[in-house]
Amino acid sequence: MGRRVKVLLLILTPFVVLFFSLSLGSTGYVGILDLAHYMWMGIQRLFGHELARATTDIETILWQVRLPRILLTFMVGAALAVSGGVLQAIFRNPIVDPFSLGISSGAAFGAALSMLIPFIPINLSAFLFGIVAVTITYFVSYAGARTSMITMVLAGMIITGVFTAFLTVLQYLSDPYKLQAIVQWTMGNLHTASWDKVQTTFIPIIGGLFAIATFRWKLNLLALGDQEAMAVGVNPRNIKFIIVGLATMITASAVASVGMISLFGLIVPHISRIFFGPNNQIGVFANMSIGGTFLLLIDDFSRAVMPFEIPVGVFTMILGAPLFIYLMRKNAVNWNA
Amino acid sequence: MKKLIQIHHLSFSFGKQQVLAELTADFYGEELTVILGRNGSGKSTLFNILSGMERHYKGEVLFADQNRKDIHAGKKNTLRIGFMTQFHQTTFPFTVFDVVLTGCAAFSRFAPRQVDFDLVEENLRAFQLWHLKDKPYTALSGGERQLVLLCRILVQQPNVLLLDEPTNHLDLHYQVAVMEHLKRLVQSGTTIVCVMHDPNLALLYGNRFYVMQDKKLHLLEEKDPVALLSTLEKTYHVALTNVQHDGRTLIIPKRKHL
Repeated sequence: MGRRVKVLLLILTPFVVLFFSLSLGSTGYVGILDLAHYMWMGIQRLFGHELARATTDIETILWQVRLPRILLTFMVGAALAVSGGVLQAIFRNPIVDPFSLGISSGAAFGAALSMLIPFIPINLSAFLFGIVAVTITYFVSYAGARTSMITMVLAGMIITGVFTAFLTVLQYLSDPYKLQAIVQWTMGNLHTASWDKVQTTFIPIIGGLFAIATFRWKLNLLALGDQEAMAVGVNPRNIKFIIVGLATMITASAVASVGMISLFGLIVPHISRIFFGPNNQIGVFANMSIGGTFLLLIDDFSRAVMPFEIPVGVFTMILGAPLFIYLMRKNAVNWNA
Repeated sequence: MKKLIQIHHLSFSFGKQQVLAELTADFYGEELTVILGRNGSGKSTLFNILSGMERHYKGEVLFADQNRKDIHAGKKNTLRIGFMTQFHQTTFPFTVFDVVLTGCAAFSRFAPRQVDFDLVEENLRAFQLWHLKDKPYTALSGGERQLVLLCRILVQQPNVLLLDEPTNHLDLHYQVAVMEHLKRLVQSGTTIVCVMHDPNLALLYGNRFYVMQDKKLHLLEEKDPVALLSTLEKTYHVALTNVQHDGRTLIIPKRKHL
């Protein structure tokens, strides 16, 4: 497949899948022609056209239930994938992701804390604890140029464990009603999506993704190592600090809105490297497109195939693990550890 | 030529073990200065200090009358200092072209420009590496990697080039090619400081020579064959004899068992 075809697919596939996802759901399948008709009505309504003002049930479901969920799912998928790709490049470690570095569990603890204590914004709290977690992981495992990949993942596991323990304490202390909310949300739930959630998530994720995209070339430099960056006159420390902060921000907002989705940020960057190579200039965009599309497909699967909904975090683990093992065995994952 | 790099009373220790003691030396601009010395004599430590990676030293290191610690990379008005270390590993299989292209990253903010692509091509062609441009860097041999890294340093067009054993993995063809290239760079105004292990290659191409011994740098009197031999014999603990070639003195170790 030529490079142009690949890039074209990268741009077009998300739109096709977004459209297709709108037609699926527990209320029933909406045909493509009907969907196009409803979309046309919706667009007319946006511009205040008289005839289109009447709303049917199916329209309400499309615009108030399915569309926000699809947009949220896509953003979350893109955020987790880009965050994973960025962290792998910066730490020069193909086995890290927001989850294995402790960011996800730190953010989950922060988000749960804000559910119990009023007046703390959920995004901010998730972000702060995500930053705390990744900073601890980094300093625990830091050993200069000799920083070992394995040590870093082990440190991340320990930090994840600690924050999961804190989260359990919160669950233990909270009343049954809040407990249920926290438990459901930690499993990774997309069905609570609403325009409100899209609104609170939109700015940090889209802003963060855009900011990371501007650093896409510098990521190649950082992926070669600190010394190699200094050798050509770039001080890696500040850029690393900014990029890890951005990656944590998008992960934290994703976690704050839909809970923990494990393994996703680890797998997608590997998939996009298989198709587009390790160059982050294209890799950042590939992660956005593949990450968003992939999570949307997984969610479609859980919405349409089963009569009841399975939390998406459970699904990514069940679908992701065999895929990852397959890639690892095939040695298509491409790393020299 | 003026003194571009000045080192005054430089001392450095790893814990209790002193590596450099009151080292004083001057390296001149637009020259190829070579530092020779035994393994573990502190050459790489000095190199790390010059390159700015090691900052916990006593004494003064000046580049063009500016303290080394005050020279921050990435600013356009300061001296551009490029350096190449001995050891390098990479995790991801970037292509050779992408690796060399990162050498331009200090100056283009977000994405490489056409000038950068041209510079990469020019440098890869200069070392006959253009055919490798789409190969993964991780699949290259040690010598090829070393050349690619050298190209990567050169695309930023540094004023000062610091090299730690730039020829140690190279075959004779590339050793000569690299040294000739360095010589051309010096002629066009670059200042080069090079740590080397092969005294003859150094003597053939260098302008000024230092020997690292007893935690200090000693200037090598390369014009006087007797002084040259005695200094190098003391440094390397090997009996030597000399050969005159093209107005330069080269050295050959004496065999003990004939």
